[in-house]
Amino acid sequence: MLQPFALEEPTSVREASALLARYGEAARLYAGGTELLLAMKEGLLHYDRLINIKTIAGLADITRDADALRIGATATHRTLERSPEVHTHFTAFTRLEAHVANVRVRGTGTIGGNLCFAEPHADPGTLLQVYDARVKLARQGSTRTLAIEAFFVGAFEVALAEDELLTEIQIPYLPAHTAAAYRKFGLLERPSVGVAVAVTALPSGVQAVRIAVGCVGPTPRRIYEAETMLSGKEIAAVRAGLPEAGELAGRAADAVSDLHGSADYKAYLVGVLLRRAFEDAYQQAMAGEATDG
Amino acid sequence: MRFAKQVTVAAPRQVVWDLLWDIARLTLCVPGCQSAEMIDPYARYRATIQEKVGPFRLTVPLDIDIAEHNAPQRLIARASGRDRLLQSHVKVELALTLLEVDPQSTALQVETDVAVLGKLGTLGHSVIIRKGEDIVDQFATALQAELQKEKG
Repeated sequence: MLQPFALEEPTSVREASALLARYGEAARLYAGGTELLLAMKEGLLHYDRLINIKTIAGLADITRDADALRIGATATHRTLERSPEVHTHFTAFTRLEAHVANVRVRGTGTIGGNLCFAEPHADPGTLLQVYDARVKLARQGSTRTLAIEAFFVGAFEVALAEDELLTEIQIPYLPAHTAAAYRKFGLLERPSVGVAVAVTALPSGVQAVRIAVGCVGPTPRRIYEAETMLSGKEIAAVRAGLPEAGELAGRAADAVSDLHGSADYKAYLVGVLLRRAFEDAYQQAMAGEATDG
Repeated sequence: MRFAKQVTVAAPRQVVWDLLWDIARLTLCVPGCQSAEMIDPYARYRATIQEKVGPFRLTVPLDIDIAEHNAPQRLIARASGRDRLLQSHVKVELALTLLEVDPQSTALQVETDVAVLGKLGTLGHSVIIRKGEDIVDQFATALQAELQKEKG
């Protein structure tokens, strides 16, 4: 049962940050609440005070500027799934958002909440890594920008200071001839394994590959060694190298055996999903579409 | 969930063995150990362990029974306790084996089998496994540091 708590409704980031500074560990930011309230109902977490940041104007906006798409932290998964801006530039993200958890979660859960709760079995953090996304963090009087890779510290832990908020996710537009894809697999509601791949390809060969693996380790992570193995080669050589890159990514993902499956099984799945995601992204890139898929 | 770790400590086996029974010093080596007390020497102990994974905190008062002690080479302990707030039960079996590498150094093998049952166990099984590995690692390293301190 949900224990009583006070609800704060700040109207600015500065005010929300001040509340965090004042109440410390007795307070927590609340956006969609799809993770937080479940944990509170189960009695796993308790806070005297929740700070509802959905009341902050503009924090759910999706805007474009010259070099990136900027997504407000309180934009819901549903909003992102339906956003023409997201679909135009980052189709793989649209597809991912259409399959996050279930429709109830997508309707209320926010992208910022998803990233900040840092539940290891989540989708967006993995794909955002191959997009080289950045997060904007704000506190009273200052802001900073961090690569999403550096934002994830551990399971349920992110690089936010006590009085800091995630306000925006910035996704740089993809280079020409580049597309991305995300594939996941799971028997439970949460995914057991998620793999994201971005490919820059020309008829002459595969110029660059970015790979990220999520859900199997405490945080999603880029697998740079596998990227190096596949980048700057002709497509036949890349395809021939995919099984080895998959094995490498499976090992590097640092899987553990748990209720989602054994470590070996997950490492194997990483390889399978890597091959599928690569092929998807490659076909999109070669089709010359302006977006990814 | 089983974890194993081996470290080599630059101390005679008897010195390492003695440290394992020095509650005040051992408490410092166990990550998250808030307090420990002896109930019955070489048989029963009590300790409270507090651990944190992100925002989740686990506080477990543990009853510890020494199942086997064979000086100065092997110790088996079983511990169990319950976090009232999280309604989660923790059971630990710990086996420590001390092997003499030479008169001045000892290989310490730490083997544990940890079970976390209840709400926390189902919500974050993989997280708990990883945390357990970290704890065993930190324990072995802290033990080594404590012995080095004595030596140095």
